[in-house]
Formats: sequence, structure tokens, C-alpha cells
Amino acid sequence: MEKRDLLPSDEKLTVFKALIGEEAIVAGGSKGSLSVFFQVRRPGAVTSDGLVMVRAHELEKHAASVSGLSASQRSRMFITMDSGGDAWLRHSTSESTLLRFRMKDMAGGSRRFVRLSPRDDAVVAADQNGVVNFWKFSAEHPETTYQTLFGKVWYEGYPNPGYTWQSSSGDDAFEEKISLIPLIFGTIKGTVYSLIFAIPIAVLGAIFTSEFIGPEVRSVVKPAMEMMASLPSVVLGFVAALILAPVVETWIAAVLLSFMLIPLLLLLSAYLWQLMPPRISLPLSGFPKVSLIFFVIILGSLLGYLIGPGFERFFFGGDFKAWANGNIGMATPMLFIIFFPVSFLLIAFGAERLFGYEWKQRLRRMPHSRGALFELLRWFGMLVAAGLLSWVTAVVLTALGLDARGGVIDTYVQRNSLVVGFAMGFAVIPLIYTIAEDALNSVPSHLRAASLACGATPWQTALWVILPTAASGIFTAVMIGMGRAVGETMIVVMAAGNTPVLDWNIFSGLRALSANIAVELPEAVKDGTLYRVLFLAALVLFAMTFIVNTVAEVVRLRFRKRAAQL
Amino acid sequence: MKAKSPKERKDNPEAGAPVPSGEPGNHKTPAPEGGQPAGAGKGSSRTGIRAAIDFKARGEPFVWIMGGALALGVLMIVGFLALVLWNGIVTFYPGPVEVVTLKNGERIAGEPFRSEIFRPSEEQLKGVDAESRRAIREAEGFASRTLYRIGNFDIYNEDFKWAVEHRVARTETPPGIFFVERKEWGPFIGFIKTLIIDGRRIPGEKISMDALYAAHDGAVERRNAIRSIEVNEIGAINFYIEEERLALRRTALDYGKKSAKYRAEKEEFERRTKERRAGFAVLKKKIASINAEDKKYTVILQEIGGREKNLRLSDIVRIYPANNLSIFGKMGVYFSRWGEFLTDDPREANTEGGVLPAIFGTVMMTLLMVVFVAPFGVITALYLREYAKQGALVSIVRICVNNLAGVPSIVYGVFGLGFFAYTVGVRIDLLFYPERLPNPTFGTGGLLWASLTLALLTVPVVIVATEEALSAVPRSMREGSLACGASKWQTIRNIVMPQAMPGIMTGLILAMARGAGEVAPLMLVGVVKLAPELPFDTFFPFLHPERSFMHLGFHIYDVGFQSRNSEAGKPMVFVTTLLLIGIIAFMNAFAIMVRNRLRRKFVEGHF
Repeated sequence: MEKRDLLPSDEKLTVFKALIGEEAIVAGGSKGSLSVFFQVRRPGAVTSDGLVMVRAHELEKHAASVSGLSASQRSRMFITMDSGGDAWLRHSTSESTLLRFRMKDMAGGSRRFVRLSPRDDAVVAADQNGVVNFWKFSAEHPETTYQTLFGKVWYEGYPNPGYTWQSSSGDDAFEEKISLIPLIFGTIKGTVYSLIFAIPIAVLGAIFTSEFIGPEVRSVVKPAMEMMASLPSVVLGFVAALILAPVVETWIAAVLLSFMLIPLLLLLSAYLWQLMPPRISLPLSGFPKVSLIFFVIILGSLLGYLIGPGFERFFFGGDFKAWANGNIGMATPMLFIIFFPVSFLLIAFGAERLFGYEWKQRLRRMPHSRGALFELLRWFGMLVAAGLLSWVTAVVLTALGLDARGGVIDTYVQRNSLVVGFAMGFAVIPLIYTIAEDALNSVPSHLRAASLACGATPWQTALWVILPTAASGIFTAVMIGMGRAVGETMIVVMAAGNTPVLDWNIFSGLRALSANIAVELPEAVKDGTLYRVLFLAALVLFAMTFIVNTVAEVVRLRFRKRAAQL
Repeated sequence: MKAKSPKERKDNPEAGAPVPSGEPGNHKTPAPEGGQPAGAGKGSSRTGIRAAIDFKARGEPFVWIMGGALALGVLMIVGFLALVLWNGIVTFYPGPVEVVTLKNGERIAGEPFRSEIFRPSEEQLKGVDAESRRAIREAEGFASRTLYRIGNFDIYNEDFKWAVEHRVARTETPPGIFFVERKEWGPFIGFIKTLIIDGRRIPGEKISMDALYAAHDGAVERRNAIRSIEVNEIGAINFYIEEERLALRRTALDYGKKSAKYRAEKEEFERRTKERRAGFAVLKKKIASINAEDKKYTVILQEIGGREKNLRLSDIVRIYPANNLSIFGKMGVYFSRWGEFLTDDPREANTEGGVLPAIFGTVMMTLLMVVFVAPFGVITALYLREYAKQGALVSIVRICVNNLAGVPSIVYGVFGLGFFAYTVGVRIDLLFYPERLPNPTFGTGGLLWASLTLALLTVPVVIVATEEALSAVPRSMREGSLACGASKWQTIRNIVMPQAMPGIMTGLILAMARGAGEVAPLMLVGVVKLAPELPFDTFFPFLHPERSFMHLGFHIYDVGFQSRNSEAGKPMVFVTTLLLIGIIAFMNAFAIMVRNRLRRKFVEGHF
């Protein structure tokens, strides 16, 4: 049982009616106010069913007392009229007044009734004298306003106003929920996660290809990367969703561990490589070194697989999924992992500022092998220090009540953004890689030669000469990659789970604009509301990629002009 | 140290020494990254190798991280291709049929499908003995299980069953168990109890394989005969009846139902339809007689649990004794499955059978696309490069073309649906096919619209490639031609175009490869799960561009995600994937070959 005032205390209730579906009621009063009410579930409700009646929509006020009301039998439209002779066609969810009818030469008389026709295309209104007014009208998409498409809308049965996309259901009284925000968000989320994965691999790989390996290795590696670009995205999506997603789900801890192990192992092997005297290492720096790098990557993944379960038990209470759902374990280990790279960078930077010069001078006086050994030890020391620092930070933050879960890390579902990001990497990496590599290659070789001739090492040349010159080209590459990621369809359709959520959780799915169009447009009724909204979605998608591509193109042209001047 | 090229590697040491300047004795020490000749190294070894090296300047760790990025990228593609290749190649190889007896006495007969390590939940561990539990605990909660393809969907209501390792008592491969691929209900796995040939009953243990195969061949022949009658002859009758009905309706629309012409045609139509119906009845009788003969050839199968199933031999696609096949027998089954895959229609909601219509649709669509895109793209590029004044307008056009290349494919699909199908197509229907309304002819997705949409999608590729090919033609050749008195058009036609042709071809082939792999826009403009008719057949006008079609890429999506059991479709999807990647890789390889030929020709072309 619940008691509620539908109107302000000084107003008399004049009209009262349920809308289609009998979920919502409209109430109008003697001073012209008009509101829509429905029940929502609220915690702490005093009613026996836990539902509370709320005033969800307040509509434009009539100038005079509301005297008549008729609700549509097929949508959430209704018509109200007041004693002044105005009849307004309204829509409850969008709170809009669609049409205003004025009854000529009858003002003042209170009408006996007003009715919407069953097909929502005509209004009949009659007054006391029996004079009948009849209007035909056409209001085809009453539920679409900028507010419902891009703003928060309070739909029946929802506890709060929100951005909702839900376009179909078996129920006749169902209302299409057509906020584009979750879809735009999904597109952005997918793009961001795929770029986080793709940009480092593509750009770093391109720099390595162009600056650090000889033509014989490059002639093998580059076509291989380019071949990736010709893989149809439907194939990537299928493998991601049906093969990769279940594997990642089972081995999630091992996957996460590999993400950490591989860079660490690469760094370790770099320091070990330095131990070799240049006499030995120099002749090996071509193909053998590249093969060694491959080997280290494979070793890293293998190690991740082998010690993954132990890692999972130690860090996440033995079950990562349950941990991510918040059921078991505590936040400290994950915070440790998150803060580890940060503290490592901090420590590396601080050490460089404080002792960098001295250290360099000291190393110079040593033989090569001992210097390299000291470098290795320094790195180990920094690792340990970073570990300590991040552990302390994690413990302190946990004590302060911060949890790594909620936000980027949260409930795990099988088809998630991590898998999408990885699969989309296959589509985006070759694109960025090829364009970035071309940009790096188009840096005139006399710049490279001049830098090397001045005594700079290839690394210094790459960092301080080549990269700044090619930066805009690399930026273009990233932008074009982003354009591709924004518009990628099949991978997202298959691997993303297609849930229109609004959170950054990397372990939950997403519903992108492109996927939504591909899934829903074939089923949409021609010229219906959904059909048109999907065309709008395509326009939004087009606008997003158009902006990204235009920026890329403009930057590219400038880069080309500047490169030509060099 | 890794240098870009041997030349630069040589450049470096000459300037390498000054880096650690101000150090006593370091003028002796070679900069190690310089790769100084061995003699110098020997000389300094007497005093102990001085590092004289700035490790920071070498940036070894960063170089390794970059190398790691590249290696990861390459490993991703290699791993991906290996996965697809392996799964695609082994799918059709017939495995043994294992009979697994569980500890609770339940028996499963099936082809082992895949094994995996998983983490059983508490629920799944119920009733497991203590020893197995301990083993699982020691393995960090992981246990292994095998998925068996048990077939017999009509009896069990499931295609697959997991056998968890710790519940299995024993596994055997009994001889005499058969793997039967049926036209309906998927495979049957079990024993042959009785074979009935021409009404003669042969008990299971007395069946010779030759007799079985001979009987099966005869049954297949009958099945094909029926199918041929149904598709070709009855199909033709239906087609002509429908054509004539439409022609009649057209007359009614043009002249009115009361006109003399209409009445005359109607009479003619009714007479002809009667004739055709008579022909139809004859064919029906023919089918019935074959069917009656076919009924005498059946087989009674028995699954592992003892339940029996009566099956006509003609309903069997393939039958083989899974556990007593020789290697040649297995290869025979393997290749016969590939043959079926490449040349047959799909069965069982596309999860079995072949993909011929999909191959056909993909190829037709791609070819039609090239027909549209080639002239359009090449002429545009020719104008842009050779005739247009290189000004602001042309560079805007170029930006637009490049931008067009970056527009998501799904947006093209939306455009194709809204413009081609629903705007142009609907007009065409109103003008030319009013007799078919309200059924749309061109007013819905179809082959024509799909290929036009993809042509739009790929036209930037062709324009860019053609422009590059044109600009690569050396200036000297044009000038030579012009100096000889050729006009501009003659120069372009006889000198520039032949030179640029391989480049243009490369662009076209790359466009084809892109178009063949694109699926998202097709979902909106005409691809269907199962097309009733091919867009190309023996009825005039042979090519039917308005028909919807099947596509390999969509086939992958459909079977993998829309079918009853995605597990059952997986092998099929892998093979289709292999085929699609194969087609695209072939096109790309061809393009690269053409490009290389262009380069060689180009070298020769220099005077």
C-alpha cells in the first residue's frame, strides 16, 4: 500500500489515466499541470512489493484546467485538452509536446471528450453542444528527440533516468529505448582498448624494423606484418570469440602474467646481452638477435602458462574470476601490479636525476663486461626498489579503503573488451605499422648518416633525429588505425558480447555503433523509428571516422611537404 | 649493435671515438658499437678492454622492447595462421570412434573432438572419489576433459558430450563401429545390426564392406536421380509457370483485365499451365517409382545403448567403419569430404555439407564488383593524374578519396541499403517490375546492390593504386612519345597505359581481395543464410543480379554464431575460414607477383 499526492495540494485532480502497458499513469490537475507516474524498485521502500511510485515526467503545463485526456493504444502518446480550448498531443517519455490544436470559436466551453484514433493519426474532440472537431495529423516518430537520443531518459520500470539502448522485445507494450550514448561509448571503449594494445606494438615494431634491423630480416618481417592486414575481419572475430575467448577465460591469470613477464624478460635479456663483449655480440646483432627476441617472447608466454596457476593462487586467492567479481581476495596484490610500472619509472627517473652522471662516469672507467654487469645489477636493484615501493603504496592504499576492483577491473564475462582489444589488434596493428614504417623510412637518409657520423648511436639517432622528423607521420598512422578501430564491425559483433554497458571495465563486453547497425538494421522495419535511428547511428559513426581521417590526412599532407623540404 | 645497413655501420666507427672524450687512454679503445677490426681489439686487450661505452646511449633495453613488439606482432600473425591452417586441414580427417565407460557405468561412443584443461566447480566435483580430488587440488584445481562428438542427435538430443578424465573408467576403440553421416540429424555413431538389400536381410556380422559400399553407391545414384528431376525438370516447370503468370499480370496491368489481349493471353496461359501440370504429374510418377525401389534398401543401425534406428541407404551421405580403416581408407574419406565441401550444397543449417553456393556467391559478387570498379576507378585516376589541373580542387578530391578509404565498411552498407535498395531499387521495381509487386525484385538487397556497394568501398584503393602506377611511368617516355608527334591521348593509350597496366592490375586485385573478405556491409545489402537459388542458372537471362546470395564470410559468421550448436559448426567454420583466407591470400600473392613483374619490366624500360 502506498499513498501519494499526484498534484500540489492546491490543485484538484481532473484527469487520470493509465498509458499503454498499464505501467504508467498520467494525472492532470485543475491548474493545468500534468505529470506521468510509474512504479520503480527502490531499496528501503516501505511498500510490501518494494516498489515506489515516482513522478517520472513533468510535462508542459496547460494554461487552464486539464479537462480531457486520451491515451494512444499503440505508443506512449496521449492527447490532453484544457478548458480553454487547447488540445495538445504529447509523448510521455520524451516529455515533448508534439502538436497543438486550437479549437476555434469554442473557447470557454468545457469539452466533453477528446479521443485519439486507434491508428494514432486523428483526433476527435466534442463539446457539450455536440459540435465535433476532427483533425488528421501525422506524428511518426514521437519518441525521438535530441533528449531521448543523446540525453538521460527515465523509462518505465527503470529506477533512475539513464542512457539506455534496448530496441526490441517480444512485448507489444514495449517501448524502444534508443539512447545512442551507450553505443558511442561502446565504440570509444573498444577503440581505446584496442589502441592501448596496438599502438605500442605497431609503432615500436615499426621503429625497430626501420632503424635496427638489416634489409634481409626486414624483407621477411614486413610482408608478414602486412599479411595480417589482409585477414578478413570476420575470421578474426570468429577466432577471437570461439577460440580465444574461452582460452583467455580459463587462463586469464596466465595471460595477465605474460603481459608482465614478457617485458621483464626482454629487459633482462637485454642486460644479459650487454654482458657479451662487443666483439661477440656485434656479428650476432642481425638475424640471431631477432631470433633470440622471438625466443624470449615465446619463453615469456610459456612461463606465464606454467606459473600462471601459482600466480593466481598467490595473488588472487586461486580464482581470478571470483576475485574480479569481488567475492574473494583483497585488493593489495592488484594494486601492487598496477603501481609496479609506475614506481619503476619513478625510481628510474629519480635515480637518473640523482646519480645518473656519476654512474656514467664510473662505468666508463670499467672494462666493458664489468660495466655491463653493474648495469644489470643496477636494473635488479631498481626492480627490487620499485617492488618495495609499489607494495608499500598498495598496502597503504588498501588500508585507506581503495580497491582495484570497480572501474577498469570488474566482473569478468567471457566475451570482453580484453579479447576485443586483442582481436582488433590484428586489424589495426598492420595498418599503423605499415604507415608508420613508411613514414620512418621516408626520413631522408642523409639525416641518419649525419647523426651517426657525429657519433650518435643508432638508438640516439632513432630517438632524437628520426622520431621527431617522422612524428607527424606516426601520428597519422595512429589516427588511421583509430579510424579503422572505430569502424571495425565483424570483430566487435562476434567477440564483444554486444551488451550496451556504460563502464570502463576491461573484463566486460561492449556494444559498438557499427556492431549495432550490423545486427539490427537487417531486422528493422523500413522507415520505422529504429530504422531511422540506425541511420543516425551510421551518420554518427561516419562523422567520428570522418573527423579522425581528415585530421590524419591533413597531418599527412603537411608531413609530406616537410619531408620533401628536408 | 645493430645498424641500418653495412654502409652506415662503417660510417660509425670513424666518429665513434670522440664520444667518451676526456678519458685518458680511451683514444686506444674502439667504440665497441663501431665494430672495429679485430686487430684493434687485440691491441687493447693487453691493457684490459676498456668499456668506454655509454650504456645509456646504446639503449639496449629499449631496443629489445621494440624488437619484442615486432616479434609479438609477427608471432601473432604466425600463430593465427598456424591455428587456422591446422584446424582447417585436420577437420576432415576421420578420427577413431572411442567408447568411453564412465565410473558410474554410463557408456559414451563418439569421435574425440578436442581436449582441454578446465577448472571444475564444486558442483562438478560432486561425487568424485577422494583420490581424483586430491590430484585436482594438486594441479591448482585444473582437471582435463575430452569433448566427444556423439552424434545421434535424434536419439540423445545433443551432439556433444564431455568426458571428464577423473570420471572415466576405461576407453576402448571397438572394431565394427560405424560412423554414418546422414542427410538429416547429423552423424550416427553405432553398429550396423541388419542391412536390407532389395528386401534381403543381411545380419550385421555378415556384411562385407564391398557389398555395403556397392549398395550405398546404388542408393546415392537413385538419390541423385530424384534430385536431378526435382531441381532441373520440375524446377523448369515451376519457373515457366511463374514467368507466364507474371507476363499475364503485366498484361492485366498494362491493358486492363477487360481487354481482348488479356483475355486471349489468359486462355493461352491456362492451356499451357494445364500442359505443364500434366508434365509435372509424369515427373511425380517417375519420382515415386524411384522412391519405391529405394525403399527396399535400408539399414538398421544400433547405437551404443542398444536403441535402434531404421535408415534408408539413400539418406546416408557417407558410411565408414571408423576403427578399422586403413590409412588409405582414411585418406579416401578425407578427400571425399573435401570434395563434398567444395562441390555440394550445405545441409543441416549450413553446419554440414558443402559451400558451393557460398563460393559461387563470393566469386560472382567479386567479379561483378570489379566490372563496376575497374572503369570507374581507372578513369577517375587517369583524369586526376593526366588531365586535371593540379590545384586546390584536385587536392580536395584527393583528400576526399583518401577519406573515403577510411569510412567504415558498415557505413557503406547502410548507404547501399538506403540508397541502392530502398531508393533506386524501389523505383526500378515500380517502373519495370510492377507485376511482381508487392514482392520486391530490385527493391531489396541483392547481388547487384552488394557488388555496387563493395565497388564504392574499394574504389579508393583502385584510384590510389592507379594514380601511383601512372606517376611511376618515367617522364622521359611521355616526352619521347610527345616529341615524336603523338597526341596526348595517343601517348596515354599507347605509352603510359601499357606501362602502368601491371600497377593498375595490382590495385584491382587488391581491391578484389578486400572486397572478398568484407562481410559487414553485405549483411545489409543482400547476403542470406541460405539462398534458394543461385544468382546464375540455366534460365534466361542466366545472370540474376537481383537475387540474394550466399557468401563465404557471412557463412562463417552464420555458422559460428547463429546456428543451433556453435560447437557442431566449428569444424565447418574452420574449413570455410581456411578457404576464404586461401582465396584472399591467393589474390594477394598474385598481386604481389604482378607488382614484382612490373618492377622488372620497369627496369628494362629504362634506356
